[in-house]
Amino acid sequence: MKLIQHLSILILALMVAIPMSLKAQEDSAPVNPAAETSPRTPHFSIGVLGGLDRNYHIVDMSYMTDYSFSPYAPGTSYGVQLGYSPWKWLTFRVDGVMLNKNYYREHMMANGGGAYPDTTTNQYVNVPLVVMLNVGNAVRLHAFGGVYGGYWLSSHRKGKTMAVFGSPLYDEDVDLDSEESQIKYNRKDGGFTYGAGLSGVIAKRVEIGVEVRWYYGIYDIQKEYMTNLNPRYNTTFVMQAGLSFWL
Amino acid sequence: MKYSLVKIVLFSSLFLFIMTSCRKESTVSDFVNPNSRVCTTYASQFEAVWQGMDQGYVFWGHDTVNWDERYRTFKPVFDSFDHASYVSQAAYQQAYTDLFEGLLDHHLFGIFYAPGNNGKFAMVSPGVNEYEHTTYSGAEMEKELDALQKRSDLVKYIGYDATINYTYGISIPGTHFALIKGKNAGEMIAYFRFTGFSLSELLQYRYVLPSYVFAPIKAFYGTDEGYGITPKGYANNDSVVGIIIDLRGNGGGSTADLQPFIGSLAQQHSVVGYTRVKDGFGRLDYSPWAEYMVYCPSNHLLKEKPVVALVDINSVSCAELATMLIKGLPQGKVIGERTYGAIGALLPNSTYSHDLFYSGCMGDYTMYEYYRQYIGEGVDYLVQHVYRSEYKGKYPFYIYTSTFNMVDKDYNQVEGVGVKPDIEVLFNRNRLWNEGLDIQLERALRYIKTGR
Repeated sequence: MKLIQHLSILILALMVAIPMSLKAQEDSAPVNPAAETSPRTPHFSIGVLGGLDRNYHIVDMSYMTDYSFSPYAPGTSYGVQLGYSPWKWLTFRVDGVMLNKNYYREHMMANGGGAYPDTTTNQYVNVPLVVMLNVGNAVRLHAFGGVYGGYWLSSHRKGKTMAVFGSPLYDEDVDLDSEESQIKYNRKDGGFTYGAGLSGVIAKRVEIGVEVRWYYGIYDIQKEYMTNLNPRYNTTFVMQAGLSFWL
Repeated sequence: MKYSLVKIVLFSSLFLFIMTSCRKESTVSDFVNPNSRVCTTYASQFEAVWQGMDQGYVFWGHDTVNWDERYRTFKPVFDSFDHASYVSQAAYQQAYTDLFEGLLDHHLFGIFYAPGNNGKFAMVSPGVNEYEHTTYSGAEMEKELDALQKRSDLVKYIGYDATINYTYGISIPGTHFALIKGKNAGEMIAYFRFTGFSLSELLQYRYVLPSYVFAPIKAFYGTDEGYGITPKGYANNDSVVGIIIDLRGNGGGSTADLQPFIGSLAQQHSVVGYTRVKDGFGRLDYSPWAEYMVYCPSNHLLKEKPVVALVDINSVSCAELATMLIKGLPQGKVIGERTYGAIGALLPNSTYSHDLFYSGCMGDYTMYEYYRQYIGEGVDYLVQHVYRSEYKGKYPFYIYTSTFNMVDKDYNQVEGVGVKPDIEVLFNRNRLWNEGLDIQLERALRYIKTGR
């Protein structure tokens, strides 16, 4: 958690410092009429992005109060981005990203029964489509919102469990294709995504940016295989940097 | 610029509003732990039982019963009980019998009580229903032991029949040791039979009970301290070329017996199978599978030799775990009939089971204790004199069900199925009674003598 906080401050600081530095260079350097510091419109852009995420696994444990879920299992997010800006203030953007929706769960068993931690690492592919509103020129502020679709690719569990004799450790892949998993798990993912970002032009038609984004899942990770289904959702916070080229 | 900011704010507000209304509400927020739920009507008792099983029953991954359908069928029945002027004992019993019918767990046993002028008491045990419909007849221990003692090739026999010691309040399992001649001169086969897995508990009384109670154990294992098989035990004698552990009619008991009395038949730790418990409200919310390891004590069988488990439909619970362990030994063989199929280990006390594992036994454990204490007086006595004073206006229940879902080493379901023998030999009552011949034991001896 602290690592993410520190990195976020660092990246934000860089994103403010770099455009300011570029602006200073621009002021002192001779004007190059060929350099484009403000996007022409309409235009397409293509790029890559990557960063860190933390996932909030939302589940109601009711009277099972000795279970606790927390997002202390950070993951990564990386992928490609494709944009289209019909006007300077508006961009449509679609990304293709691989990201983790991990969570840490602990069962602190009552009566001194000990702690049973579990770290579940999930790999998803998400395709968010957003409408982005832009403000500024060489340094631009963005706010965006949209929808995303996705698919749950794989899952891995690591922790300690209860057995008749002892408390064995486990570190294993979850077979999402098993008969039981196919009954239980809903591998389709989707929902809303929104966030904000800051970008700056660093060279002709080259822009770097940083953004924070939330993926708000509206698909239960389980299928409706029973009446009293206790829904489980993922909400994922992503902080990422990107590099894009105007076409 | 100003116009853009207004658009951003409006856009974001609309977006957040739509977004937050798209998730389903949790249905479990109002659930109450079945161990602490107080029921005051037939309907609330049914709800607590159904919900408790919905969450805490460990075999939903394999069970074919449609539990949601059972809710739709029986909720109106129990609702109608609350509105009826009179509910018969038979109707109350039938409703619960039908609710639980066909569930896989062969440990499953439920007690339900409804107060009233007469008090109603229902009991369910779906595993017994399955057992009664099998073609297996099980063994007759007394006759089999009689046949054993009359064998012409019997070298030595030491036996102690099961009793209850009224002084210490313990149930002493029957233990029987025998040495039978092998194929070649000087070779012997060691035989050990015990009626229940309470040997470790029994050995705690070795300083106060007469020594002959422990003589069969000491002969086979070489010690009456429960430390496995010492070099002094006949099982480790060089002249003994094979071992028969007779688990027919063994009703199970404490898993604490597995390591010293069965694990010692191996040369190394044995993985018997895999277990898991529930870890959420979903029927398929399970912990990962964990090895069910039975450790091999330092005093164990020194030389690998054939070990045969003799089993039948009355080999239950721990006896089945022991069978699975022996089946997995390099020279292990299981001979006889299919076992009962109540294999998932459990903690009877609901406070330890459901409160800690959210699996297995649930409800009012005191009911079960009363049941065990007074059932000898008859159900009527229990209902009229015990439950009536204890449960005024309450509809308590207790469900005895497995804490652990267990599968074998190949992840095959064994609950409700039992352990299948490597060599099936069905119990033959005619030959036992008319010829004094125990054909299951004969087959075990033949296997050790010939390797086939």
